[in-house]
Amino acid sequence: MSITYLEAIREALARALAEDPRVFIYGQDVGRFGGAFKATKNLIEQFPGRVIDAPISEDAIIGLAVGAAIEGLRPVIEIQFADFSLLGLNQIVNQAATLFWRTGTPCPITIRLPSGGTIGSGPFHSQCLEAIYAHFPGLIVMTPATVEDAYTMLLDAIKIDDPVIFIEHKLLYYHLKADHIHDEGLPVGKARIAREGRDLTIVTYSAMVHESIAAAEELASEGYEIEIVDLRTVKPIDTDTVIASVARTGRLLCVSEAWPWGGVGAEVIARVVSEGFGLLDAPPLRLNAKDTPIPFHPNLWSMHRPTARTIADAARKVLRF
Amino acid sequence: MPEVPIVMPQLGESIAEAIIVSFLVKPGDFVTADQPIIEVETNKATMQVTAPCSGKIVEFKAKENESYPVGAILGTILVSEEEATKLGLTTKHPQPIGTAGKPGAIPHKSIEEKPRVQPTVTGLPVPANLAGASYMSPRMKARLNELGLRAADLAGIQGTGAGGRVTIQDLERFLAQIEKHKTTPASPLRIAVADAMRRSWTRPIAMVAMPVQLDKMLEHRKNFPEKPGPALYVVRALALALAEDSTPAGRLIGNKIVHPQSIDIAVAVEVSDGVMVPVIRNADKKPLRDLIGPYRELVSLARGKKLPPEMTGGSIATVTNYGVFGLTFGTPIPLPEQTLVLGLGAAQKVPHWDESLGQFIPITQAYLTLSFDHRVLDGGGAGRLLGRVAYLLNHPELL
Amino acid sequence: MVLGRVLDEKLASLYRAGKIYGGCYLGRGQEALSVAIGLNLKKGDVFAPLIRDTAGRLAFGEPIHDAVRTYLGSVLGPMRGRDGNVHRGRIHEGIIPMISHLGAMIAVVNGILFARKLKGITGTVGVASIGDGGTSTGAFHEALNQASVEKLPLVVVVANNQYAYSTPNSRQFACRSLADRAIGYGISGYEINGTDLESCLDVLKQTIEEARSTSTPKLVVANLLRLCGHGEHDDASYIDPKIKDSPIGRDCIRIAEERLLQRGWASQQEITMIWEEAKVTVDRVVAEVQSEPAPDPYAEDWCALKTKHLADIYCIPEVPDRPEGVLDLP
Repeated sequence: MSITYLEAIREALARALAEDPRVFIYGQDVGRFGGAFKATKNLIEQFPGRVIDAPISEDAIIGLAVGAAIEGLRPVIEIQFADFSLLGLNQIVNQAATLFWRTGTPCPITIRLPSGGTIGSGPFHSQCLEAIYAHFPGLIVMTPATVEDAYTMLLDAIKIDDPVIFIEHKLLYYHLKADHIHDEGLPVGKARIAREGRDLTIVTYSAMVHESIAAAEELASEGYEIEIVDLRTVKPIDTDTVIASVARTGRLLCVSEAWPWGGVGAEVIARVVSEGFGLLDAPPLRLNAKDTPIPFHPNLWSMHRPTARTIADAARKVLRF
Repeated sequence: MPEVPIVMPQLGESIAEAIIVSFLVKPGDFVTADQPIIEVETNKATMQVTAPCSGKIVEFKAKENESYPVGAILGTILVSEEEATKLGLTTKHPQPIGTAGKPGAIPHKSIEEKPRVQPTVTGLPVPANLAGASYMSPRMKARLNELGLRAADLAGIQGTGAGGRVTIQDLERFLAQIEKHKTTPASPLRIAVADAMRRSWTRPIAMVAMPVQLDKMLEHRKNFPEKPGPALYVVRALALALAEDSTPAGRLIGNKIVHPQSIDIAVAVEVSDGVMVPVIRNADKKPLRDLIGPYRELVSLARGKKLPPEMTGGSIATVTNYGVFGLTFGTPIPLPEQTLVLGLGAAQKVPHWDESLGQFIPITQAYLTLSFDHRVLDGGGAGRLLGRVAYLLNHPELL
Repeated sequence: MVLGRVLDEKLASLYRAGKIYGGCYLGRGQEALSVAIGLNLKKGDVFAPLIRDTAGRLAFGEPIHDAVRTYLGSVLGPMRGRDGNVHRGRIHEGIIPMISHLGAMIAVVNGILFARKLKGITGTVGVASIGDGGTSTGAFHEALNQASVEKLPLVVVVANNQYAYSTPNSRQFACRSLADRAIGYGISGYEINGTDLESCLDVLKQTIEEARSTSTPKLVVANLLRLCGHGEHDDASYIDPKIKDSPIGRDCIRIAEERLLQRGWASQQEITMIWEEAKVTVDRVVAEVQSEPAPDPYAEDWCALKTKHLADIYCIPEVPDRPEGVLDLP
């Protein structure tokens, strides 16, 4: 049996709907159509009245979710592309993320964002916005990289009483498969050592974990053993695991598909340099997408984002310092 | 068939270019990987550029006696298909996820790979301004701190890191090895002396020597029941000589010679684990006979390691009588805050040509050595000072 | 209304005396409309007031202490110092505290009503207040559209007080009347004279009850004039004197008093007593609240999440030790 990343998400949604009557799904095309990526396929038949099509109104969609949460329900919102969540940015960061702190009433909503580039997806269907959401207080931001994590972390997200931005990578939807999903995974907030190593730590998340693993395999043939830390959540960041890894290897490379300025990599490096300065054998490096909108043509797109090849090159720079 | 460029490699830290001296092979020759093919000269040495792979030399683009920067293409080698595959020039980019061939799989295949060339000198480029071998990363500094070591302690370790620097792994290996040896603790005095000598050695130290006849001094000694040590005679002689001209004992600070304020001379006294240097203050102002008692007391306090702080420090030169160890000659190192250390070697009965008698006569002779900071003093000045000291020692009634 | 006005006046004077942090926003001139909302809502309904709804809040049951505490910065206020002035509410009693972004609260009310629908709860209503300026926002449009598509018992009450800060209606919208927008959402729109307490009470009663029973949204637009600055920091010198002199420029409380007197429903004495009682109540509450403690930064947990163990540990500043001596904050 083999299950894709997307199927795991669907399984998690089905399970959440089954186990908690307070859960409902709201978003564009999620009902009979089953969602643009089929994440909610057939769920409306299994759970009539709880998988509801929304108009194209991201602001109102999120606002409605907050209201429903106030009333005690647990909405799971599907925004069709992460890029469009920016239309609801105000409701996410100023309404949902501040509700508990300002009023004491929790806001247990989950916002699913299909993120990341695929071939030809272009500037507005490819964005990775985790750094923006992580910036605002009051949000939890999850970035599962594996099929297993997509399943358990979505279930966790729905159970958490705070607003969770759940960042799914579109490239992983159909391409990433696993043999099973498990009922339990690592606790939310803990990073995973995706690959043990000795010479360099790559801190990364989401689809870049897989690119980093490919890079590590290339470097293994040159005698370097690369350790890869999959953050799993970027807010909170499991800084302890990152620092422990850098303590073992002395070198750090942060890889992310998002843009460089103020990104997750910058945050990790700032923490490692302040808390673990005496652990470093080389200046830490980060590798990100180029600081331009995401190009459409595959020739341009494939150079715009980090790939296994460029990750290996960046790693070599740090290794050889 | 594919061609592989021959690239000027990084030949050493901070090397940016090299001059072609000669070509060891010619176009058309078959070469094997790593075979030396070009001789080049950097500003440090003559080195060889090796073939990046096996194949046939197509051409050399570089010319003899011309300089080319690191990374410049010096020529090309024609490689066979299988060699090309080995080098990864035709490999498809590895698929990061999913299965290849699935619709919608990432098309890294469609991007042309530029041939990757491996530098033939690996493990470098270290930024030149970070001076390769002596660079210490924060991690290394933190570890050294933890262990109470300093950079000087790494000097004996063979480094395997970039530029030949010592890595954490090298250090840990070295320490593990040390563990196997017998170790005894170094006393604080030992560590203090080690530190002082290390700091002193940062200056250019030179030494001159002169033999001095001791017979008159030894005769003079008999006048005193307490028999003053030869070192005290030397102290007095040095004090008087420096009182006449204190320049040799000056210190170079920036662009000034700082002169001593009073002629305080220290005497090196050996103790169980090192050396102590008690000071005779204003040694130029008191005659020898008045210094005998204080000197004895100082030495005994020093031996017992009971010297109060006001009796050490602040001296402008040191006298050391290493002759008591039987040493005829020595090159002591001045204290870090001093320019001079005057040493007295063991006395020996040697034949001396007496012109007036026309024959060799036995005399008692010892070597006076002056080690000095060559930034302040040159051979001439050192020689003159020694000459004056020797003169005074031969006229002990002046002391 | 009177209580609302008296309270607002007191807050204004406290503001001028420098006793209020941040801005001070009054509902002078809007009391009739606002109170009509509060009086027609029932317990269990939901009300998202905006910045000029002092009277409506009081009518709906918000304790007068809430306004005074929030403005004067007492830690005992409903927002505990974390938000201030008009951003106050009591969620579990149906008063939803606003955020500054206009239009954003309507979708939240939608959400509450939507959730009740999913839960099978019927018979409650949600009212959201907004001004003429707020109706220009995308959030307003999206939320009204959404409420209409979802068939929610929502009443949006637009106080068209002719100015959004300094921006007159002519620069705000180009349709004949804001009430016409209802057509675009497929709902009923009502236009009323906001200075007339009776009309306000009647129409709000009607629309609220209709929404409650038919679960369809309503749009009520009331015309009145803002009788104060945008905030107490604003002198409103831009207000067109012609509007001031027109019928909607009249004070709704004065009009109501006139009616009461005309119809013999109250005597001047009784009216005067209402004002006096209101002043006494307000003064008493203000005196009480002024001696209450301010928020203590050292007692804060500085954590924005309910799930404490997921707070990003490196983002939590260490709470410094309280310095010795009395806490004396500016």
